Amino acid sequence: MPPAQLLAVKAKFAVEPPGSLSLPLFEPKALKTSDIVGKAAEFALDKNDPFYVFGLPRKMLLEFRLMTKPTTVVRGVTKESIELLQSAKDKSSLDTRVVFTGRAGCGKSFLLLQAVEHCVAQKWVVIYIPRAVNLVNSTTTHAYDIRTQTYLQPTFSFQTLQRMLTVNDVALRKLTLQTSLQLEKREVPAGTSLAELIEIAINDRSRSVAQAPLILETVMRALEEQTRYPVLFAVDDFQSLYGKSKYRDPHFETIHSYHLSLPRMMLEYASGRRKFNKGAFVGAISCSDTNFPLPIELRDALGLEYDHPMSPYDKRFKPVFDYTEGLKAIKVPEKLSVQEAMSVFEIWKNEQALADVVMRDSEGRVVTNYDEQFLAKYTQSGGNARDFVWGGILANMEA
Amino acid sequence: MVHILGINLPDNHLARFALTKVYGVGQHTAHRLCARLQVHDRCKVRDLSPFQVTSLASFLSSPTSAPPLPRYPLATPDYVSPPLSTSTQELQAEFLAKRKAKKVKNLDPLKNLKIESELRREVRENIAHQRMIGSYVGRRHAMGLPVRGQNTQNNAKTAKKLNKLDRHG
Repeated sequence: MPPAQLLAVKAKFAVEPPGSLSLPLFEPKALKTSDIVGKAAEFALDKNDPFYVFGLPRKMLLEFRLMTKPTTVVRGVTKESIELLQSAKDKSSLDTRVVFTGRAGCGKSFLLLQAVEHCVAQKWVVIYIPRAVNLVNSTTTHAYDIRTQTYLQPTFSFQTLQRMLTVNDVALRKLTLQTSLQLEKREVPAGTSLAELIEIAINDRSRSVAQAPLILETVMRALEEQTRYPVLFAVDDFQSLYGKSKYRDPHFETIHSYHLSLPRMMLEYASGRRKFNKGAFVGAISCSDTNFPLPIELRDALGLEYDHPMSPYDKRFKPVFDYTEGLKAIKVPEKLSVQEAMSVFEIWKNEQALADVVMRDSEGRVVTNYDEQFLAKYTQSGGNARDFVWGGILANMEA
Repeated sequence: MVHILGINLPDNHLARFALTKVYGVGQHTAHRLCARLQVHDRCKVRDLSPFQVTSLASFLSSPTSAPPLPRYPLATPDYVSPPLSTSTQELQAEFLAKRKAKKVKNLDPLKNLKIESELRREVRENIAHQRMIGSYVGRRHAMGLPVRGQNTQNNAKTAKKLNKLDRHG
């Protein structure tokens, strides 16, 4: 075929360039509309968003790297969670300690990210730990502290302080210390803003990393007491905080996660031993990592199924069991609804993840088989979100 | 580059596996040494603090004379830490005073650790003992042949090369 004619044919069947779908923004006013459920929305991100600063769980990061713009589908459970957080805005975090549960790949981490983004838009103070497993898998420094009788994690504490400052700069500049803080070489007077306190730590990095756990503790206490901004503490890989860590003490005995400073802090907020005067604690379990499976105590507390037939001899560890007190489970539906799956399919079709299968019928009209592909992938994956995207759309071999 | 007992540990290696370069330290002993020094599994040699390096070097130079490790208390779920005005030195002194009152047995497996020249000497002494008592094992070492019942009709090249009375000398 002559080149000019080829180009004309290609132009006729040209698909839109990737990322050209015009989607509403994932923002509070769009989420209030009732017809947003089942539709896709684009995250409205700036450079200081938790999405970039705190990071993402590993599998979600891969998915967002493939997309032109970060998009997500608003589900029924998204609206419910957002309504829960709206009602939690003026209440203590004791009343809102929830954990997203569900089978592997059903969308718990995505839902947690949606909750985080919503709270950022609503000007909450947000602390998001996307990979809590990194606190317990012996990948960060630890050092025993005789005062707290726990193992402090200075490097992770320092990183968390830096990230909190970047994401919540406006709020932390307005909140101040109620009492003075004595550091190694200086005293930080009462009335200093939390942002200034964290900047003192960042500027004097060589000395501050060791004192980062103390500074983080002070900042968290100040956030607990204040009532100006609600605080969201979101933790993914939540189940990894409830078992034994991969750390070993000097006697080579395994260190339990509640003897590590940061996991202990999260467990205290989750169990209600510590609370924010205004805010919520939200966790999401992960079924992906077999090194940190869902422990039996958490299954009991959240009413989840057991992985083996239970007997009266199955042991529960009391300290861990006590840290599960008051947690409520929000079950994420196992299957995407057809409308939700169609929106996901539309996003990836626009990203050109699917083969451009455009044909003509006997009368010369253009037909596509996207509907066949959609139904095939949806049925094969059984509606499971991760299987639908990774095992269905992105594993598509049709040429 | 960190030098411990004359052995160079490359900076970009994980500390837990770099320690296996020491003769007599395998993976399990290296893991135990890292735990003793509070070095996490993914720590690289360049990230070791000077205190950790000197503690490691002083421990490995004489493991038997190292003081027994204290067993520090770990916080129960309802533990409330003392106020910041209490200094670490006071708490440490209090803990050591309580510990002195108790007789603590040192059950640390690393206290009998033998490395480098001591270990080589022990191996040579074992072979020399076998020879002295006139055992089969001693005779095979002396002849430079396999010791553990391997075939000699063919192969046995390693034994012929390495088996001596002053093996690993």
